[in-house]
Amino acid sequence: MKLLKIGISGIRGIVGDTLTPELVMDFACAFGTYMNVQQVLLGRDTRRSGPMLRSATVSALLSTGCDVVDLSICPTPILQYLVKKLKAHGAISISAGHNDANWNALTFIDREGTYLNSYQGEAILDIYHLGRFKKVSARSLGALTEKNEYPETYFADLARFLDTEAIRKAAFRVVIDACNGGGAGFTNTFCHHLGCELVPVNNEPSGYFPHEPEPRPRNATEVATIIKITKSDIGFLLNSDVSRVSIVSENSETLSEEYTLPVVASFYLNRKPGSVITNLSTSRMIEDVAGVRDCRIIRAKVGQSPCIQEMIEEDGVMAGEGSGSVAIREFHPAYDGFLSMGLVLEMMAVKKLKISTIVRQLPKYHIKKEKICCPPVKAHSIIHEIGKLYPSRKTDVSDGIKVDWRDGWIHIRVSGTEPMIRIISESRNEKKAQERLDKATSFVKKRV
Amino acid sequence: MRKQLPLKVSVSGVRGIVGDSLTPQLAARFAQAFGSYLGGGKVLVGQDARASGVMVKNAVFAGLLSAGCQPVEAGICPIPSFLVLTKERDTLGGISVTASHNPENWNGLKFISGEGLYLNFSQIQEFMDIYHQGEFTLIKADDHKAISAVDNPTQAHLKKLLNVLDVSAIRKRQFKVVTDCSGGAGAVLCPEFLDELGCETLWLNATADGIFPHPPEHIPENTLRLCRSVEENHADVGFVQDADADRLAIVDEKGIPLGEELTLALAVQYVLSKKPGPVVTNLSTSQAIEDLARTHDVPLIRTKIGEINVVEEIMRQRAPIGGEGNGGVILPAVHPCRDSFTAMGLTLESMAHTGKAISQLRAEIPRYFMIKDRIAGTPEEANKILRQLKIKYAKSGEISDLDGLKIDFGDLWVHIRPSNTEPIIRILAESKSERRAQRAVLRFKKEIAG
Repeated sequence: MKLLKIGISGIRGIVGDTLTPELVMDFACAFGTYMNVQQVLLGRDTRRSGPMLRSATVSALLSTGCDVVDLSICPTPILQYLVKKLKAHGAISISAGHNDANWNALTFIDREGTYLNSYQGEAILDIYHLGRFKKVSARSLGALTEKNEYPETYFADLARFLDTEAIRKAAFRVVIDACNGGGAGFTNTFCHHLGCELVPVNNEPSGYFPHEPEPRPRNATEVATIIKITKSDIGFLLNSDVSRVSIVSENSETLSEEYTLPVVASFYLNRKPGSVITNLSTSRMIEDVAGVRDCRIIRAKVGQSPCIQEMIEEDGVMAGEGSGSVAIREFHPAYDGFLSMGLVLEMMAVKKLKISTIVRQLPKYHIKKEKICCPPVKAHSIIHEIGKLYPSRKTDVSDGIKVDWRDGWIHIRVSGTEPMIRIISESRNEKKAQERLDKATSFVKKRV
Repeated sequence: MRKQLPLKVSVSGVRGIVGDSLTPQLAARFAQAFGSYLGGGKVLVGQDARASGVMVKNAVFAGLLSAGCQPVEAGICPIPSFLVLTKERDTLGGISVTASHNPENWNGLKFISGEGLYLNFSQIQEFMDIYHQGEFTLIKADDHKAISAVDNPTQAHLKKLLNVLDVSAIRKRQFKVVTDCSGGAGAVLCPEFLDELGCETLWLNATADGIFPHPPEHIPENTLRLCRSVEENHADVGFVQDADADRLAIVDEKGIPLGEELTLALAVQYVLSKKPGPVVTNLSTSQAIEDLARTHDVPLIRTKIGEINVVEEIMRQRAPIGGEGNGGVILPAVHPCRDSFTAMGLTLESMAHTGKAISQLRAEIPRYFMIKDRIAGTPEEANKILRQLKIKYAKSGEISDLDGLKIDFGDLWVHIRPSNTEPIIRILAESKSERRAQRAVLRFKKEIAG
């Protein structure tokens, strides 16, 4: 099976297979043509294929007349923040986030620092299909500059946004596993600004991923062990572009990535109440957390682009997903792992609570996940068919299919980033969650 | 008549117009094909001074990386320095991002073997087959290499030049030299080079910014400023490099341009006086070289047009010198390639050793007049006409059809051939009488036009 995903705000594929230099150039040319702008920022994570994609993107953007400021290795949220800060007109981030090392992706970012929305994405796709890219003459080609001092600005602003004084006073010892991805090394700057002692794990920008770059319990064993040995206050795992975080508690409990959003919300919504945007697949914990604070939950399609778009349109205060992503509108409209970590640390400092205590105060749900490899051509018809399993229930089909019960829900959808069908089942009752998951899984497997 | 297409793929690589045919995608495909041809390994990437070099170079990086190569960046580099570097470094080959003497809006790629030579005819065929088949090596993410860079990419070349030239003799004379680098890559090395030779220097267009102050072709109209400067500053000699610094034109101490044919003639005259041996040049180069070879009693071998043809013959003959009448001097002791620095060095060394002014050295070269003209015509049309002319003139002169048609009438020769890069037929005539040469060109132009 050829693996290539053309999404709303970019393309994603396996290098050496579908993601060829030409394809990268065609899409970067389409972006340059559509944006028709002066200055585009460029950043990447540490993947070994990064320089190839970077060179292809630089060449393509210059050919459409864009000036390119290459920030080299730069986490996506920092890149998004800098677009606005530097008054650039857009950005391309080269990172496949949580995907394995053989994947890579281009993500297109507009002048607001947000992922392109579906209208913009479709316009780019039209230009790509048409294949008629803007070409400028030799004298009008864009110029390339290379900078790496800008991320410092971001961290200074982040420290101003947070209650840094409180965090500094608490003098936390923090374990961060950057998975040798885009966040590697930036973790030092982060901790330096917040007066935390960093216990670095996989903190080399080598692009060699010692485990999947997906923040979740099964990748957290190393962090859990090190927390115990170093008697640290908390541990974090990052994905390769630092848009997602998962937490490990001081007593080495590896928390599901589903906890990141409700933990942050249970603190931030006190300070700034308002609507929270999340997707259909995210744990009900966030509904409970928002509910007790009289805040509204709005469910959007899965992915940074639709959720952030909804946050802006609905004037929400924050957005996030069960994948460990959180965005705070007041700071910037982007999923930001550094900001998420910062707010968790601030919460611990201000409330003078251990992370395990904070987590214990959240309602307890059991969430079960399954992903099944499935060619994209089949996936949509399978999802359409699966409605038959739930004849008597009301279903939400805005993104795959979601079915609700009093104690929980199940969501079955086509992955936006891989040729997979994802099934997520949650319930207060662990057995029910598992039963519903198994039923749906066997239905899908029979038809793949 | 067929229009000049904005893209030309030929034995000398790829050339196209930026913003038109020369897209990032095209450059990446060629680089990936070249990487597939080499089978991975280190590949040097250099560029001339054109501003579009950054765009094209990055496309080349992407193509090479995908084919499993390790690009080594040499930056803006005179082409002879780049060729020397490709040989000296442990690399499998090189790609130079250059459109040679084409106008500023053009750019292109030249492909170089690990020996620091342009790919020859059979190598380029093999490489082009890979390109056209389109089945390029595409490596997995884990196997991707990093891009590295060379500090001081011109040093290997400079070292060779200084080893071969009689530096102390040149230094003693403290020549005053005006050089026009044409805003090209030559500017990267030229100041250091002339400084090593103890010259007092004055400069025109000596920033490698790729903004060409005049068309980068060597014709007398493009040397006016230089001529004036040489005269006003009482310099000993004036030099013009072309955009990628492989060719040189000379202006004498009176401010008179010698014409590009004289560059090779002066170098040959000098080198043969020190080290006699066969001389190799192409069919279109001045008769003066033949006279010089005869004086020194050495053979002269003529080749097809194209630098690599001359270079390969030089190596086969173990010739001490060779080159082209367009100002391209090849001294294999430095490196078997056209090299404007070698040409400058030999000119200065000749002045130092003989104690003569450049105008006096020029006066010792037999005087010929070469008239160059062109007429529209495709290679196909040219071929038909050349067949007819060959029959018609079979008995009136000595005929060579090695490349186009060259007819030697004794005191006049005419060379007619289709251009490799444009849909035109070139007509050259040379004679000791300027009028005879002019009349011959007119006559053949008429005959071709029918």
